[in-house]
Amino acid sequence: MAPKTQIKRFSTFDRVFHLYLMLTFIAQAATGFSRLFITTSWGKSLASLFGGYEMALVIHQWVGILMIVGFVIHSLYLMTRIDWRNLRASIFGPDSLVPNLGDFKHLWQRILWFFGLSAPPKFNRWAYWEKFDYWAVYWGLPLLAITGLMTMYPLATSRILPGWSLNIAALLHRAEAILAVTYIFIVHFFIGHLRPSSFPMNEGMFAGSVPLEELAKEKPAWIERLKKEGKLESAQTAPPALWYRVVYYFFGYAVLAAGVYLLINGIVYSQYIGLH
Amino acid sequence: MRDVTQHNSAGAHLVVVPLLALLLLLPGPVSGQEEVASAIRRYKDRDSSTGVYEQYEVLPRRQLPFVAVPGVRRGLFPYSPTAASVRVRTRLADSHQGIKFYALRRCEYCHIEQTKDIHTTRANLTCRQCHGGEPIASIQHYYSVMNPIRKHAYICSKCHQGSSASFASYIVHEPAPGSLTAKKDFPVLYYTYWFMLILFGGTMAFFIPHSLIVGFRELFRKKRKDKNGAENSD
Repeated sequence: MAPKTQIKRFSTFDRVFHLYLMLTFIAQAATGFSRLFITTSWGKSLASLFGGYEMALVIHQWVGILMIVGFVIHSLYLMTRIDWRNLRASIFGPDSLVPNLGDFKHLWQRILWFFGLSAPPKFNRWAYWEKFDYWAVYWGLPLLAITGLMTMYPLATSRILPGWSLNIAALLHRAEAILAVTYIFIVHFFIGHLRPSSFPMNEGMFAGSVPLEELAKEKPAWIERLKKEGKLESAQTAPPALWYRVVYYFFGYAVLAAGVYLLINGIVYSQYIGLH
Repeated sequence: MRDVTQHNSAGAHLVVVPLLALLLLLPGPVSGQEEVASAIRRYKDRDSSTGVYEQYEVLPRRQLPFVAVPGVRRGLFPYSPTAASVRVRTRLADSHQGIKFYALRRCEYCHIEQTKDIHTTRANLTCRQCHGGEPIASIQHYYSVMNPIRKHAYICSKCHQGSSASFASYIVHEPAPGSLTAKKDFPVLYYTYWFMLILFGGTMAFFIPHSLIVGFRELFRKKRKDKNGAENSD
């Protein structure tokens, strides 16, 4: 069987950033949930994995700092990806993750397609839900970082803001964390890996490339554009090695299992905790 | 005639000598005992600054059953044998004054909601570690250590060294954030909660059905494709 033609979709940097976010996110979700649910038997057993209630906080704080550092580095990296001399095309062009009017049109067309009322939209390089996933980090992470730092340094915070702002910070931190965990472990996992056209795994973010055949169905406008611009040949790359695929399948499913474990237990035990 | 005065003085010795012996043997009164006995001076004794609040604060009224806060009148006569309804309890020197069978009760019999906050459930603090022993002064009472003018120094700094008055404005017993109590007492918390809940509900209400419909739609397309053995246009 001839190997499938692979099209490069994510750079090494993109994949490293995603891997970094995956690892820090799952660590924060597990340590954070262990503290949120500490009054339950499940929370106690989860916290014991990290050395108890206090140690879970130490890990949570350090990983939080690593996350902030990663976020700043990624934002700087993002600046280097902008073509400053051709700013408008760079920001609103088809390779950009910045949402535009076309995304709303695609969303509407896709809703019609759901009910068989239209042909499926022809997505370009990034579909609207992928753009949402990307930018959601830009609202969630700063909110979690600011409220996390506020509760981490309450005395310093109370010099700048009134002490009752710590009540608000604690509420925002938990609410945003629950939103992020629920979104990632339900929506992102399902769209990324479990829907029929992606199952058993969307390998793009790990392999860095996607089979041309798959992209022709998922992102037809992008492939047409690459052909038109004569870049299809240069975008081709070697498929991932078998050993590497085995590694990321194991790793991906381990993280997925951990996420689903946290989510299900979180839902089951949510009745025993209060947010105040 | 018998000298009755001699008998009397012998009897007096029988009483006075053991009393003097007791005085020598028993420990002298200590400030701790005095504290419990004196409700009014108690918080002054614990003050490390001037300790003379009279110089710049309003003195307490006498703690009589007729209790009212200036400008606040409850009922036709501000009197109650149980002191349950007429007083603004947040201003009393003994906040539990007049409560029936008080000695037999535990804090959580009445203050169950106040046992659910982070300080109690996570840090395992007991009520008395902040509110002090009996008589527990109301948090707004001028001599109370829980009064916002000195709470940061007397209470918060026991664990949070360096805490300021601003820091002490953290609401330990915060109301349930979505409740009407929160709307009245802590509106910022109330609106933050509802904003986040609507954000959460809105995000999920869109993306969960969206994901499920995508899943079903792709499943149908796949089945149709398999059946026809060829790629389908939709």
